[in-house]
Amino acid sequence: MREYTEEERALIWLCACTRTEYRERTLLLRNGEAASLLRAPAEKLFALVGREFCASDPAKRQREAEELFSRLKRRGYFALTIADEDYPESLKYANSPPLVLFGMGKRELLGTRKFCIVGSRITPPWAEKMGRALAEELSEYFTIVTGLAEGGDLSAASGALAGGKLISVLPCGLEGCYPPAHTAWKTKIAASGLVLSESLFDEPIRKYAFHARNRILAGLSEGVLVLSAAKRSGALITADLALDCGREVFALPYPPAMVHGEGCNELIKKGACLVTEAEDILSAFGLERRERTQISLSPQEARVLDVLKTYGESHTAVIAEKASMSVFEVSAVLASLEIKGLAARAGGNKFNAV
Amino acid sequence: MIAKIVCYALNGLEGVPVEVETDVNKGVPSYDMVGLPDTAVKESKERVRSALKNSGLLFPMNRITINFAPADIKKEGASFDLAVAVSLLKASEQLVGVEMGDTVFLGELALNGDLRPIAGLLPILISAKGHGFNRFIIPAGNEKEARFLGGAEIYPAKTLGDVVRHLIGDVPIEPIETLSYVPQIKSRTSTDLKYVKGQPMARRALEIAVAGGHNLLMIGPPGTGKTMLARCIPTIMPDLSFEEALEITKIHSVAGVLGEEGIVFERPFRTPHHTATTVSMCGGGNRIVHPGEISLAHGGVLFLDELPEYKRSTLEALRQPLEDGKITVSRAGGTFTFPARFMLCASMNPCPCGNYGSSERTCSCTPAEIRRYRRKVSGPLLDRIDLQVEVDDIAYDDLTSDIKEEPSSAVKERVNRVRRIQHVRFENAGIHSNAEMGEAELAEYCTLTKEGDDILRNAFERMHLSARARSRIIKVARTIADLDGSEEILPKHVFEAVSYRIYDAIG
Repeated sequence: MREYTEEERALIWLCACTRTEYRERTLLLRNGEAASLLRAPAEKLFALVGREFCASDPAKRQREAEELFSRLKRRGYFALTIADEDYPESLKYANSPPLVLFGMGKRELLGTRKFCIVGSRITPPWAEKMGRALAEELSEYFTIVTGLAEGGDLSAASGALAGGKLISVLPCGLEGCYPPAHTAWKTKIAASGLVLSESLFDEPIRKYAFHARNRILAGLSEGVLVLSAAKRSGALITADLALDCGREVFALPYPPAMVHGEGCNELIKKGACLVTEAEDILSAFGLERRERTQISLSPQEARVLDVLKTYGESHTAVIAEKASMSVFEVSAVLASLEIKGLAARAGGNKFNAV
Repeated sequence: MIAKIVCYALNGLEGVPVEVETDVNKGVPSYDMVGLPDTAVKESKERVRSALKNSGLLFPMNRITINFAPADIKKEGASFDLAVAVSLLKASEQLVGVEMGDTVFLGELALNGDLRPIAGLLPILISAKGHGFNRFIIPAGNEKEARFLGGAEIYPAKTLGDVVRHLIGDVPIEPIETLSYVPQIKSRTSTDLKYVKGQPMARRALEIAVAGGHNLLMIGPPGTGKTMLARCIPTIMPDLSFEEALEITKIHSVAGVLGEEGIVFERPFRTPHHTATTVSMCGGGNRIVHPGEISLAHGGVLFLDELPEYKRSTLEALRQPLEDGKITVSRAGGTFTFPARFMLCASMNPCPCGNYGSSERTCSCTPAEIRRYRRKVSGPLLDRIDLQVEVDDIAYDDLTSDIKEEPSSAVKERVNRVRRIQHVRFENAGIHSNAEMGEAELAEYCTLTKEGDDILRNAFERMHLSARARSRIIKVARTIADLDGSEEILPKHVFEAVSYRIYDAIG
């Protein structure tokens, strides 16, 4: 890893070692080179912010910075500053770009095209399956950007993980994990993809951190797909932030009166692109969809899938009736469709086409 | 004079012969009991004294010593009363010239001389017959239990006086007539599959589970008939053979829960409450060990309603019996093995609020809550439950209420047919059902086609099935193929078997 320039070091120190808010940091930066922060006399700095926010002795600031770098190195993390050449352009010109991002994993993913897939924690099984399939296919063209929450986020992550083109942005420091139950996922993603965070290593999670994280998700990506969102959902915030910085917004359509899809439908009404297959997203970016291997279906499977597509979410017995097969024949066929990723179990013996 | 009388003590499910030796000597009147009698046995002194007096017999006012041999096993309970009384009579020369060395005396005495029934009579009779005893005097209250034991003279006596008159030949007691065993099913009108509306999936799962001896988990919102479905299981299980009935009766006799009939005709259906302790579930006790619920369910169904509510340790204790079909309980008094080959049927709600998957109500649980709820049932236990099926809520039934439901008798016929196939298949393997197959049987009877193998491999990858689930799925596929009348396990059988692992898919 290359050495940090003086300016970068100062930026990292500013974000990691001082008790400043984002607003105050930008204020400090506007008033001069970041590089001078480490050397500047304390009175001048304190006067700008209006309070004491760091050590007044420049030598001490220098020591703090050194300590920080050795800690970064020990943990195998890297710090990406806004002054860096490979700081993603899209993020730089988004609203309130983070001054420093800490990361672990494949740094080079930052230079690729990125697409964000998010969803609320309660995502119906068919939408999760679809999210996984879309993430898997889109990861051939984009690096998938998402969070780590269960439901929509995790389904996207699980689709893209195998290909390694996956960036996960945490709302807490890199040492932590939110939700804590998904620590194993964090480790896996760090191993094959990239995990990013704006917070310092073990910084505890704060209320606003999710909102702040969502701006990074939106800022990094060329577009955002919302898999599921109730009327008030974090996924909608991400979509709004994406719109603010002029990104494309996509959403899965839901039948009316489905609580977990109201937000998605609302987005579509407001002009988001309706997505039913990867093609819808790719064409919006002028990308040619590569030929996918066709999944071969037996006549029975085709019949059942047809029923599923015609009648929507249906009970196994109803499907059996419509496909004129016995119930247990249908459950065998549905299992096979499920394994092929074409059907999803919705609970209560009901199934959806994916 | 010394008298020796044989009676029996219970040791788990086995009877152990105990000789009651009585010596009546001249001297200061005293009454000593030796040979590890417990309190109930020691108290027999007062019962015997009163019973003798009230039967018009004499309690000797001499120096009396009673010894129970062998001395190293603990004697418990009141079943020695009759033997003590008779040996006392013999030793005090009130039964002169009566030969009874090969007669086994069993029974508890009341103060007025009546004989009271004892627990565990049948296992004692069976063991004693094996030890070469052919003549028994038992309490009349145990008569029904003894009727099915052929090839022995069994005399049911109402009172101690009857016993004495029988022994000296005054009024002989008629021996019990042996009954031949005919399985009979109490016709409980409310329990039949024909009263279960709808539930095509659960019905099918029930049938497969019973046909192959697999364990079953029903997941469904509250009040959808999970318990009713479970209660129907005994109505579609094959009839008990005499050997099975006898084995079950032995267990129930030892536990003292034998009903009026004297023998168990019906497969047991045990529903321990979720507050049950591990000991009540598996068996145990202070010194004498009683069989637990899983042994009482031997040959039948153990139904655990609201599975996640049971104590974790209690559920984990089921794992080994589920594999071995028996449970070994070790206590200070010894180690006892009880049979415990039961079909586990469990039910649970899909989520804490119970409405996940319901078409009527919306589920208010977060995914984390649902996961936490389901995680209360451990993976290893779930792995032993081959069939997991969702039970529909009532709204669906309205759709199909015109369908005429199949009665239990029709299902039972199919089950019997499949059981016969398995009987032939496992004739020399020492197992009874597909579910009990080991690796050797799996290799011999369950070869998958290339296609079937591919399906399974695919399923593992896509549905994140555990490797342990593999052989379980194959066993279920074997049963489904048997139901289908197919020699070979076809891909559709494998698919259907996979479709019953929903817990792996949605959990």
